[in-house]
Amino acid sequence: MRKITSIVAALLLFAGNVFAVDEATQLFYTLRTKVLTVKDYTADIRLKIDVTYMRIPQLKGKLFFKSPDKMRLERNGGLSILPKKNINMTLSNLIPTGQVTVIDMGKVVRNGKTLRLLKVVPEDELSNIVLTKVWIDEANTLALRTETTTHNDGTVIMDLEFGKYIPYALPDKVTIFMDLKDYKLPKGVTMDYNDVPDAAAAAKAQKGKNQKGTIQISYLKYDINTGLSDAVFSKPDNG
Amino acid sequence: MISLLRIELYKIFKRPRTYISFGIVTAITFIIQLAMLSGGRDFIAFGMQGVSEQFDIQGHILNGYLVTYIILQSLLIHIPLLVALVAGDALAGEANLGVLRLLLTKPIARSRLVLVKFISSVIYTILLIVWLAIVALFLSLLLFGPGDMINMKSDAFVLILKNDIMWRYVAAFGFATLAMTTIAALSLFLSAFADNSIGPIMTTMGMVVVLTILSNLELPLFNIIKPYLFTTHMIGWKGFFDDPVPYAAIGRSAMVLVGYTVGFVTATILYFNKKDIKS
Amino acid sequence: MEPIIETRGLAKSFKSFKAVDNLSFTIRHGDVYGFLGQNGAGKSTTMRMLLGLIFPDSGQIFINGQEFDNSKRHLLKNIGAIIERPDMYGYLSGWDNLKIFAALSDKHIKPARLHEVIEMVGLKGRENDKVKAYSQGMKQRLGIAIATVHQPDLLILDEPTNGLDPQGIAEMRALILSLSKDHGKTILISSHLLYEIEHVATRMIVLNKGKKIVEGPVSELLNPDETLIEIECAPDEGLKSKIMQSGWGGHLQVCKAGAFTMKMNVNRTPDFNKWMVENGIRVQEIRSKHSLEAYFLSLTTETTATK
Repeated sequence: MRKITSIVAALLLFAGNVFAVDEATQLFYTLRTKVLTVKDYTADIRLKIDVTYMRIPQLKGKLFFKSPDKMRLERNGGLSILPKKNINMTLSNLIPTGQVTVIDMGKVVRNGKTLRLLKVVPEDELSNIVLTKVWIDEANTLALRTETTTHNDGTVIMDLEFGKYIPYALPDKVTIFMDLKDYKLPKGVTMDYNDVPDAAAAAKAQKGKNQKGTIQISYLKYDINTGLSDAVFSKPDNG
Repeated sequence: MISLLRIELYKIFKRPRTYISFGIVTAITFIIQLAMLSGGRDFIAFGMQGVSEQFDIQGHILNGYLVTYIILQSLLIHIPLLVALVAGDALAGEANLGVLRLLLTKPIARSRLVLVKFISSVIYTILLIVWLAIVALFLSLLLFGPGDMINMKSDAFVLILKNDIMWRYVAAFGFATLAMTTIAALSLFLSAFADNSIGPIMTTMGMVVVLTILSNLELPLFNIIKPYLFTTHMIGWKGFFDDPVPYAAIGRSAMVLVGYTVGFVTATILYFNKKDIKS
Repeated sequence: MEPIIETRGLAKSFKSFKAVDNLSFTIRHGDVYGFLGQNGAGKSTTMRMLLGLIFPDSGQIFINGQEFDNSKRHLLKNIGAIIERPDMYGYLSGWDNLKIFAALSDKHIKPARLHEVIEMVGLKGRENDKVKAYSQGMKQRLGIAIATVHQPDLLILDEPTNGLDPQGIAEMRALILSLSKDHGKTILISSHLLYEIEHVATRMIVLNKGKKIVEGPVSELLNPDETLIEIECAPDEGLKSKIMQSGWGGHLQVCKAGAFTMKMNVNRTPDFNKWMVENGIRVQEIRSKHSLEAYFLSLTTETTATK
């Protein structure tokens, strides 16, 4: 009898787990559907790129987005600098599309909030995304953090803060942490002005190697689903 | 002093050779601008390889501000030659013409003559830099339009917003004038020793080329002497295109250049005051 | 009245070469002072020292009684000069050159004065031409214009006839005489064409190897007693002893086998000629030099001989 009780208990536990997986998958799909309800937007943004080798002031501009992956920053004649397309700054681009396997990692507390952590693995083997971890605020169905491991672009972590645009799952502020390759041009070509002594410059260069970069983007105002045409995203001349 | 200076400037600007410099600056600028118009995009793409692997940079990269920076970078070697053409000729050229001995029979203190020749060389230098600013900056802006400027250093990629650039160019041209004033002082100093202007002009150029190479060689031996070479500090104008602007370093460079300039002019006065005019 | 120029013990060496050696002389107001000497005698170096172009190793220069050195260049205000070639700014016009050097003279000079000197030196009508298009004579005249435009008391002219053709030399000579006589200038002039000096100078100094050989009024130095008589004759071994044993021995200057030079009053030449014939000296030619050139030559030859 004890044996039967044990088997039933094990089955129940298993079944519960199966239900839990379903719940997590459901949660992920709900989140993804919510994210994907935004077909396009135009947002007034402030962009701050914090990369060791890049010295860029805060950029103001209009960010145009059209699902699934079109994005353009317009800076009233100024230069637009965005991470390469495959490390896009939208959530829709950092969570896998198509069929996925969702693994529930349980609840975690982050910044004083209890969040549900999911691991999402795309079933499409050609996807650049290998694995995405999503920290979800279940009450609002919002992803507050994603950690996406890609085939080609290392690991990209995205922190999201929400405010006025919660119904659309659009953040007020996004911080992206990404892996960066080293940057170096020959001094003979650039003929740099050495503003620091050489020893300090060497130390600075060493420190700059294998650093992570941070891109912070603040959304001030969104115009959502206005039916942006593809023409908006046609690349301006690179010169 | 003013009347002496007026005479000196009158002589400089009545001389066809003086305008050759302005012509050369114009020609080099035009050539670079034409090259940038035709092949600038490839040039930019090549320079930005390191960044464009990871970032997508769109917009009007090849704008007037960037082209001006490229022109200034290219003219680094040429402008000293053009300054030397006049400053190196100031005393030696007149000795060669034979006019110096006539000039020095006049009741003018030799130190005043040296100072006036230095000041007139500086005025010529300022005009040359202003002309460079006009043809390089304003013409480039006219041809390529304004825009945010990228500055590719060996270890950094700097972006400067377009409304934050003009003051940097004003400061950079100001600093370049200071650097070229040092060259003028060096040429004048060498000019005091010679009886024809080719010597001081060539020596000035030789020194600028050799010392620039030493300033750029990444060898421990040269690293010790680098801070003391004026050529290391002549490119201080580039500091204004960094973010943040290294004001302390630029200030140090300016002081070194001023030090060299005062040193050269003082040495010229001391030597010239005792020089026998035998030509 | 103080002399316009006075030097005391002036000396200058270039490395081991003594260009000027313990030179003292005086130039008085109104003098046309001739500076004579062979090349390298120290004329130019001395003139350059007077103008502050070259600094003496020792000795003093006084201009109008005031000691002159590099700190007192204002004393040059009343001096005009041409040193060697009259080099100017070739790319400027004669007028521009004149205007520039006039402005450097530290005196206010009106345009009318510029016109006046241009006319005086005969460059009217050519003043606006570029100097590089001028002939040597025109340059020399422009040089005189530059030297005189500020109405100096003293003109220092170093070889002003150098490079001129005969007509140019004659014009320059006339100009110098006019500057002295008509404009009352004191003039210090040197020339390797010594007869120029003879025609214009009132006083002179003869230099050799940087040293003063003689200084004095030209009229005294051209004393007929000092005439040189050059005689060419058939070679004669006993020539020198014949002359020395005669009463003419004191006049003998130089004697070689077939030629000798006597210094004496030119009027005694017939008597000396008679003595030579009587003593078997077969005379082929007799030449006399009354000029300053002969005097200069004699002095320099003398110095060379004593060496």
